[in-house]
Amino acid sequence: MPIHYPRAMLRAHRLHPIEIWGPPYVARHEGSRHFQAYTCDIVVKATSFLRSGGLDVARAIFVPHTCDALQGMASVLGDFLRPDQRVLTLYLPRGRRASDRDFLRRELERLARSLVELSGHQPSSEDWDEAFQAEDAADSALADLYRRRARLAVSDRDFYTVVRSREYLTAEQFCEQAALLPEGDAPRRGVGLMISGIVAEPLELFDQIEDMGAHVAGDDLACGFRRVYSPSSENDPFERAANRLLTSPPDPTCGTPIQARVDTLQTRMRAVGARGLLIYDPKFCEPELFDVPLLRKHLGEAGFPVLHVEFEMGETLPYQTLSRIEAFVETLS
Amino acid sequence: MTTSEALPHYVDSNRVEHFVNYELVGKTALRVQRWRDQWKIARRRPRPDSPLNPPLRCVAHMKEIMSRHYLEGRYASGVRKVAWVTSGAPTEPLQALGYFLVYPENHAALCGVRRQAQSIAEEAEHAGWSRDICSYARTDIGAMISGKTPAGRLPRPDMLVCCTNICQTVLHWYRVLADYFGCPLVLIDTPFLYQEAHDHEVAYVKRQIEDMICVAEEIAGKPLDERRFHDVMANARRGAELWLEVLNRSQHRPAPMTAFDGFIHMGPIVDMRGEAVTVAYYERMIAELDERIERGIGAIKEERYRVLWDNLPIWFKIGEFSKWLGERGVNVVASTYTYAWGELAPMIDPEHPLDSMARVYLHPILNRSSGHKLDSMKKMVEEFELDGVILHSDRSCKPYSLGQIDQRDRLVKKLGVPALLLEADHNDPRDYSDEQGSNRLEAFVEMMEAQA
Repeated sequence: MPIHYPRAMLRAHRLHPIEIWGPPYVARHEGSRHFQAYTCDIVVKATSFLRSGGLDVARAIFVPHTCDALQGMASVLGDFLRPDQRVLTLYLPRGRRASDRDFLRRELERLARSLVELSGHQPSSEDWDEAFQAEDAADSALADLYRRRARLAVSDRDFYTVVRSREYLTAEQFCEQAALLPEGDAPRRGVGLMISGIVAEPLELFDQIEDMGAHVAGDDLACGFRRVYSPSSENDPFERAANRLLTSPPDPTCGTPIQARVDTLQTRMRAVGARGLLIYDPKFCEPELFDVPLLRKHLGEAGFPVLHVEFEMGETLPYQTLSRIEAFVETLS
Repeated sequence: MTTSEALPHYVDSNRVEHFVNYELVGKTALRVQRWRDQWKIARRRPRPDSPLNPPLRCVAHMKEIMSRHYLEGRYASGVRKVAWVTSGAPTEPLQALGYFLVYPENHAALCGVRRQAQSIAEEAEHAGWSRDICSYARTDIGAMISGKTPAGRLPRPDMLVCCTNICQTVLHWYRVLADYFGCPLVLIDTPFLYQEAHDHEVAYVKRQIEDMICVAEEIAGKPLDERRFHDVMANARRGAELWLEVLNRSQHRPAPMTAFDGFIHMGPIVDMRGEAVTVAYYERMIAELDERIERGIGAIKEERYRVLWDNLPIWFKIGEFSKWLGERGVNVVASTYTYAWGELAPMIDPEHPLDSMARVYLHPILNRSSGHKLDSMKKMVEEFELDGVILHSDRSCKPYSLGQIDQRDRLVKKLGVPALLLEADHNDPRDYSDEQGSNRLEAFVEMMEAQA
């Protein structure tokens, strides 16, 4: 489950993660038997998916502590639904202090003990080295994709299809996909937007934005740029994994102060030529919702208009959502 | 001309205002008000048309204590350092350092009880905060930006202390406060306990409390007095023990108070735990409850069904629910929410303050798993001999509410206890439907009747 987790640690234990961000096409009703109507789609739909056998292939369900909703999901799975798969949890500290770093290191050690039980494999130092090397390479490939975005001859939809393939491909496969994106004249036109939020679903959104005469110049998405981690090189694998997680870009679910988010967004928007910020949130996402008025205020003062739209995860985009985005694009043109 | 304008410039106007308006006039006026309230309560006789017996006499004292607290808050700026804290924050060191503490959640609840929460929350909504975020947060953000409050005025914070042991919402909320006030935000991050606490989790919380003390000392400009800290911890423990005793008095039949009384009387243990006045207040309350028990006086006249309330109260409905349920012989005698401020009393150890605080502040019911909460409810059903459970599905409190559907299912199917999931919100009346709520409550009472 989203958002941040120690990929190299899973790999060192010979486990491969497949991320579940919904999925959008799954109906809510099975999950609604366990979660109230005011629970976000990611939790409810993932529970539906699990209950309908969609995760039968998995040996464990890993729920990092991202928010109150995912906390509730992990608790209900572990205490009541008790799926065949083991439910693993990880508490991610909300600060970036020395105490947070030390805690996370110990928390990862605790997680590793569960992973050994699950996989039956105790990683050797070679396993750790190999895992970090592979995952660091994939992290770098992702960072490089963002650096090269303006020079890539692909549509936004194609770009994000590759970015999000990190959610299910191995590190090697992802690097291969990223390398395949051709450089050349980008098919970009119109107004540049920065998109912010948890996840931009469905991918058709990018086509629609292009049809409106705009393009996504950059993102502040949990499934995208917020996971461009800085490489770390400590000898101790747990320290290294902790440092990687604690060097993610600003993210409200990690407790980043609002001013730090604003400063980073402004800098990046200027760098990529975005004229406005589209905040695109799934319903009931408190970590995102709290920041919206202050992002609007601070970024507005800096000359960047902000539009906030909420969506329910599905396979189609409501007309109302599209017309609001279209009106926003028109004001920026 | 105000008091401060009439003063020469070398006199600290804040201190003068604090002395005149709070110490001299305010406290005296509140004492007189309390005497008047006591006189009224003493003269009150049970009304034949009311299902409830007269309220506890000590409510007049509670009103005085809480009013005094909020009154002091109006004049605290410049006189005492001010910290705004979450309801589950480790405040004992701050109290020992002389901070005046503001509990925004309690303030929001006050707005709810006075039925002003919606109009204040709308101020936040007009400024862009979504109706889907916690109504406590919306109420307080609305008060912050508009100045509207039934408390008169809240003092500006010198520091903010946010402890995540009740929810992650407070972190997002306090980031907004930090942006608005531009003061330091100290985070006490408490890992959620899916099972028992691990040593590294306790050590993490302890280290953060130590760091908080350093920041608080720097802002206060003085070091923490160990003896004073010990006394505050001793009061915190005694206050929590007494609060637990207060709540457990409702194990008697008929229960001398309702959980709705508990929601109101929890003010001192939330806002002033660690203070001698809280200890004295709950001693007085226990004496009165014992007197009621001895005389066989229940909170409601005819107690036919005893019920547990899960989750926060619906603040704007407390009076109505109490009467409505009382008319049907239903006494809500216990609640998981009020218990949270008492059940950890045995863990508080004034001889080992930091270690024990780390454990205590990791273990509130809201920081524990859904399964643990179900176990707590089952235990309360047995100990209080309960006939049913009302689970308030609180739109604003997701960590408390997620899991309730399965908890209800197990209470009904495994324990055979009628249980109702009541959809509402702790502070926003727009999220409660009277008609739907009454229908569901009627059906719930019928279920208990059928089982009796």
